[in-house]
Amino acid sequence: MTSTAFILLYGLSYGLVLCLIALGLVVTMGLMRVINLAHGAFAAIGGYLAISLMQQQGWPYALAVPSAVLAVAVFGVVAERLLYVHLYKRSDLDQVLVTIGFNFVVIALLTMLFGPNIVRIELPGYLKGNIDLGIREFETYRVVAAAICLAIIGALWWVFERTSTGARLRAAVDNRGMAQAMGMNVPLLFSATFALGCGLAALGGILAAPMLPIEPMWPLKYLVLVLVIVALAGHGQITASVAVAVIVGIVETAGRYLFPQSGGFLIYLLLIVLMVWRPDGLLTRRRTA
Amino acid sequence: MTLPFARQLAGIAAAGVLFAASCAACAQESVKIGFVGPYTGPFAVAGQSFRQGVEAYMALHGDKVGGRKVEVIYRDSAGADPTLAKRLAEELVVKEKVAMLGGFYLSPEVAATAPVVNAAKVPLFIVNAATPGLMKMSPYFVRMGQAINQPAELAASYARQQGKSRGYVAVADYGPGHLVEEAFVAKFTAEGGQMVGNVRVPLNTTDFAPFAERIANANPDVLQIFLPPGAASVGFNKALAVRGLTQKVMIIGQGEAEDSDLPLFDDSILGFKSIIYIDANAKNAENAAFAGWLTRNVGPNARPNSFSIGAYDAMHLAYKMIADQAGKSFDGTAAVKSLLGYTFKSPRGTVTIDPATRELVQNFYLREVVKASDGVKRNQVAKVWEQVKPTPLK
Repeated sequence: MTSTAFILLYGLSYGLVLCLIALGLVVTMGLMRVINLAHGAFAAIGGYLAISLMQQQGWPYALAVPSAVLAVAVFGVVAERLLYVHLYKRSDLDQVLVTIGFNFVVIALLTMLFGPNIVRIELPGYLKGNIDLGIREFETYRVVAAAICLAIIGALWWVFERTSTGARLRAAVDNRGMAQAMGMNVPLLFSATFALGCGLAALGGILAAPMLPIEPMWPLKYLVLVLVIVALAGHGQITASVAVAVIVGIVETAGRYLFPQSGGFLIYLLLIVLMVWRPDGLLTRRRTA
Repeated sequence: MTLPFARQLAGIAAAGVLFAASCAACAQESVKIGFVGPYTGPFAVAGQSFRQGVEAYMALHGDKVGGRKVEVIYRDSAGADPTLAKRLAEELVVKEKVAMLGGFYLSPEVAATAPVVNAAKVPLFIVNAATPGLMKMSPYFVRMGQAINQPAELAASYARQQGKSRGYVAVADYGPGHLVEEAFVAKFTAEGGQMVGNVRVPLNTTDFAPFAERIANANPDVLQIFLPPGAASVGFNKALAVRGLTQKVMIIGQGEAEDSDLPLFDDSILGFKSIIYIDANAKNAENAAFAGWLTRNVGPNARPNSFSIGAYDAMHLAYKMIADQAGKSFDGTAAVKSLLGYTFKSPRGTVTIDPATRELVQNFYLREVVKASDGVKRNQVAKVWEQVKPTPLK
């Protein structure tokens, strides 16, 4: 009983945090179809920025986090206008090479500026400690992070599935020429969406920092976990990516708890099985001709 | 009349030979030392500490010894690639003509480099790699750190003396981790303790909560851990703290929470015990000079650690070898021989090079993390094992 409760609680909260990191990539890679392997770089920059604002400028946590997210979103627009705009029509391989290279540049810069070690994010008092959930003690922070994650997932789902902005974006990705002919400002739409993806990356990086500590190698270290979620969810599927992230979180936690030495491999087994069974994503809509 | 002329010629020839020889000597005036370490990548903390140790020693003792200038060449072994470390060592020996090598973070890197130093007869100072069997691979290896079983055995004995009877071992799932596990379990059970469990933590672990949960369920009263410093150690300690284990269980590690890393931890690290061969806050003159150089040149939070003290001592031995061979061309075999049984004062205390194993006879320190009145966390020495002899090689 306690084992099951542990696996479900930790698996769920770990999965939701992974989901938040992956959501930005679901937007840029899933919706915009750019193989954006530099996603983690934006997350790491967000983490470093938030920590610097708190440590060096003395900003409170609740102010530093949104400021860092906004700053990374703005940086995302710059990166999109200068770099990514040249990638939209290039081959997948070109996109992979450029974005991986971008990762290396960011890793080297972060090492130069902040040193090779991890940096600690100091949580405010109200997020520290444990709360009693009735069945067992549980970290307050994981509950809060999971709640923020659910709220953001809900908002994104609403924007992309229920508003005309979401419909415009999907239309622009599927047929850019026609969308432009209909009078849509596709470059602006793409910049805004990319900024959203980068901002989400930064938020994910910051909220995950107490569990996945911020360090210069961050962009590559957690890339695989995030790519697993995006790949299994399929292109731009927000609801599916939540389901997949929760499954990944629970499988990871259960695997490491029940079979500590080999548990790390379970996730890759899951990846293989799901990719064979549902190559287009877990909950893909049925294709209409 | 022809004879004196021939003599004259011979004289000129002899002078020419002498001149050439003296020029060879002047070319030899500088001695090069190759330092291979992870200056970038996931283990960059260790590599940068190597470099701090070398630079501090040279800044404090000058760059000339025995009439020769000492020049250190750094090569980056980046990640975990033994073939790269070997290639770098080859390049340093063949192209740069280094007289000796130093550094090396991982045991496989040292093992891969053994054929190079054996062929070239170049002494190699192992600063960090700690697999006991390495020393059998080359008579040119001199270890500046430890064999990894030593602190684990001391930890097991100490826990038994403190009345701990339910042991648990959690180690990173790679070679050195397995050795720590083996050494602790053997010693702990030989001294009458009972092992209630063990777990090997994969190196790619990001969420450590499942491991803390397993450990808590086994209800041990002493936990030996061995994990890479940095993200893994910080994450693991946090998971243990959340599960209440840092309060309930005596936790003994090795280098997970060195003074230089303590700012990365929150206050749940207080009370963490570790056994290693250095004390970053030692008051001896050598350590004071080194620590002073670090705070002046690296940063206010910089402290000596096992990596930087190892590199610092490697430079001390390099200087001794060069001084011993002043005026001669450098002979690696004779140089290593001159070190056997040599005693010197290191920042870690007095050390002697054991002639049989080429490892250090040195103090081991049991340290506990405390918070001083100024709010700064540091490792305070609780017990010293004086002049511990290395385990003989089988």
